[in-house]
Amino acid sequence: MSERTYIEYDNARITRLDGLALRVEMYDGRVFENVEARRLFPITGASRYITLLDEDGVEQAVIRNLKNLEPDSRKAVEETLAQYYLVPKITRVLACTEKYGKLTLKVETDIGEHRFEIKHVNTDIKVLFDGRVFITDSSDNRYEIPGLRKLDKKSLALLSPYL
Amino acid sequence: MITAGNTVFRTRGFGMIPEDILSTAPLPERFASQAAAMLLEGETPLFTIVGDLDLKGRYNESALVVTDRRTLAFDQYHAGGVYVAEHAQVDKAFVKRMYGNAVLRVALRGEAPRDIFRFTYSVASLCDAAALFAENIAGGGDVRQEFDIVKATFDKKKSFCPKCGRALGQQGAACISCTSKSTLVRKFAKYVRPQLKLMVLCLALSLVTTAMALAPPYVTKTLVDTVIPNKDLNALLMLVAILLSVYIVQYTIGAVRGYFMRIAGDRIVAGLRNDIYEKAQYLPLSFYDKTSTGSVISRVSGDTSTLQAFMLRITQEAIIQFFLMIGIIVIMFLMNWKLTLLSLTPIPLVVLGARYFGKRIAPVYRKIWRRWAAVSSILTDTLPGVRVIKSFTGEQRSAEKFESYNNEWLIEDRKAAKLSNIFPSAVTFFVTCGSLLIWGFGGKWVIQSPQNISVGMLVSFISYAAMFYGPVNFFATLNDTYQNSLTSAQRILDVIDAEPEADFGKGNLVKKVKGKIEFRNVNFSFDRIKKALTNINLVIEPGDIVGIVGTTGSGKSTLVNLIMRFYDAYEGEILVDGVNIKELDLESYRSKIGYVQQEPIMFKDTVFRNIAFSLPDADVEQVIHAADVANAHSFIARLPDGYDTMLGERGVGLSGGERQRLSIARAVLKNPSLLIFDEATAAVDSETEHLIQQAIERLISGRTTLMIAHRLSTLRKANKIVVVDKGEIVEFGSHDELMALKGKYFKLIEIQSMSEKIRAGKEAERFE
Repeated sequence: MSERTYIEYDNARITRLDGLALRVEMYDGRVFENVEARRLFPITGASRYITLLDEDGVEQAVIRNLKNLEPDSRKAVEETLAQYYLVPKITRVLACTEKYGKLTLKVETDIGEHRFEIKHVNTDIKVLFDGRVFITDSSDNRYEIPGLRKLDKKSLALLSPYL
Repeated sequence: MITAGNTVFRTRGFGMIPEDILSTAPLPERFASQAAAMLLEGETPLFTIVGDLDLKGRYNESALVVTDRRTLAFDQYHAGGVYVAEHAQVDKAFVKRMYGNAVLRVALRGEAPRDIFRFTYSVASLCDAAALFAENIAGGGDVRQEFDIVKATFDKKKSFCPKCGRALGQQGAACISCTSKSTLVRKFAKYVRPQLKLMVLCLALSLVTTAMALAPPYVTKTLVDTVIPNKDLNALLMLVAILLSVYIVQYTIGAVRGYFMRIAGDRIVAGLRNDIYEKAQYLPLSFYDKTSTGSVISRVSGDTSTLQAFMLRITQEAIIQFFLMIGIIVIMFLMNWKLTLLSLTPIPLVVLGARYFGKRIAPVYRKIWRRWAAVSSILTDTLPGVRVIKSFTGEQRSAEKFESYNNEWLIEDRKAAKLSNIFPSAVTFFVTCGSLLIWGFGGKWVIQSPQNISVGMLVSFISYAAMFYGPVNFFATLNDTYQNSLTSAQRILDVIDAEPEADFGKGNLVKKVKGKIEFRNVNFSFDRIKKALTNINLVIEPGDIVGIVGTTGSGKSTLVNLIMRFYDAYEGEILVDGVNIKELDLESYRSKIGYVQQEPIMFKDTVFRNIAFSLPDADVEQVIHAADVANAHSFIARLPDGYDTMLGERGVGLSGGERQRLSIARAVLKNPSLLIFDEATAAVDSETEHLIQQAIERLISGRTTLMIAHRLSTLRKANKIVVVDKGEIVEFGSHDELMALKGKYFKLIEIQSMSEKIRAGKEAERFE
């Protein structure tokens, strides 16, 4: 089994190609074309351990920590991740109603206002250890509340019974 | 009405929409008018998909309008607000699924692929259909036929209850949530009804004891005002004797009533538990994918007890306390209306307090339940896996994890404890204030005008007032019990009201299965992020022995899960002997399939009963014969307790190969028409594998068999091989045909041959 290639600091230059594709030039001369970035820990470690997969889904390299990359490389990777991972961050809960066991939420997010339904309140709202909340709606779309304590009082009061 | 080409558009106020167009939602006016203006002569709009994201990933209006000739993608980030792709120019069209969103990507001939439409998963399956439509039309497909496939996807999307929005098993099916009874009382009344006679008896006994309880304070009045001042010993003895008799009768009846109440309550909760457990058996696997077993166990064990207590309170205590309250008020008014009014003054405070308390406590009880379900989950997850915990010295970590979950429960329970103790104390305080008012004013009136109110009357009144606050307190705290029970009731209803496995073919029994299996355009995903199966088309003839191969995660097990109807939410059709399996009676259909899993599950029961699980009425010799065929009888006979050997939860006491052979014996006993083996020899040594292979060969003779396999020896038996890769069938044919292709199958066999040679070599050296 070959050793995993880790990318960190300046041992690679990453540039953006079309769509989600990236080009990685390692300092040792190796080049990976048309790779796509995926988070290995999309919930608990968004900027750590980003795997780079080729067109067949085979891992070519892993970025240990995005924050340690050179600025241009970091920007290229972050842009593709932002496009791939759509997890709107809820900034305010405008309305929350429950009927027939289904919860309907109207929220303000970082990408606009949205309304969605949650079918299984007990399983589709997860509070993480660091105070973040992950919500899955009835269409399997994901949402995040970056910090429960940062929500305004009204939003917290609306959501609190379901946490 | 507006005509554009040959198409008639009817104005609806939102835009121009062809009368029979399929759509997910009303097309925004600006897109509708733009689309109408762009239509060519003779071009027919077929369907539209209204999106919710723009190409930059912000919530915004976007839409797809698909005609018989082109796809028009409306998004503010396209030049001119629209991108046009002619079907005839489409080289590739597909949906690229991402995390929380997806894009429709189109590559026109000679051009690079381009994202033309972005959306959340709400419309992902429809966009899949749109992409397939465009590609198939480009490949020369018939518009009408391809449109029918799209229409089927739309119809499936419309299978939601118009009232509550819950997904239905199929369009037009009755919605359990809305057609079932709306109030809690009616839903649970069916459990109370069988105990009605007993409960009426208990109620009657309660009313007798209640009436008896009203007597002593009145007797007290007579004692204080008449008997004792007159020093009438005979009257005193008589009154004491009467009181004694009243108490004896009262408490005897109370004990009898208590006994009957307990019986009634136990029967109610047993009925509830039976129903929940039974219902849980028929829920689809997708329910268990989302709900932890700890949560279901909590509902069966804890929630039913909570609900039982509440139902008894409502049907017995509430009625008794109500009559007691009325009786006392009437007596008090007859004795002295002024004192009665004084004693009623704290009541508004008590009622308001109950309402306020109810609103505060409901969310707390909900949280407590969630915390407790999490604790139960840990127990059910980790204790059966104690072997893993010990082998990785994870005892401390496991204990710490349990402690943290338990502490979270403790925190929430403490909040509830605070609230649910403060309130009753507050109520008691107000009630005490009421008594003080009676002492103060009543005492003053006794001193100032003893002809109007005697000492005996005051003492009697105080007793009645104290008794009165019993019912007041009961009704004030009823809300607490109600809120607690409401949470439990909702949890129970989650299971009872959940959509069971759809059995729309109920009654359409399967008589004989020849064994022809067809997959037609089957697409399936567990969640919407990743498709587990894509465009599966497969025909298996009766008697075929089909090997299914592929790398881990390629979709092999998913294929058989769909045949077993463990998951029904797939697109396309699966037919057995030409009949859609969804139209067959579920129980009858599954009874015709023998399924041997990779990890055989044994129940905590005897070997005999584990084998006979597939045919409970089987006699001893049938079971022994099945064990023989499965090459299991010889090792069972060697067990000290033979067929009576008790197996543990996970078949403890048996090796993997022995469990597998018991599993095959189960399948043999069933005498199924179709057989499915899911990597049945995955985790055994070659000697055991040989025994299992032998057993399998005996079993499969003459039956259509599907075998998920990666052992060469297994694949050699197959007359057809299906190669699955990333959810698609990439190769299909006989072993020789696929080897000649030198494709994926050839590579898999090469790798397998090498590893088998190494394994055989190691075994020859007895090297482990």
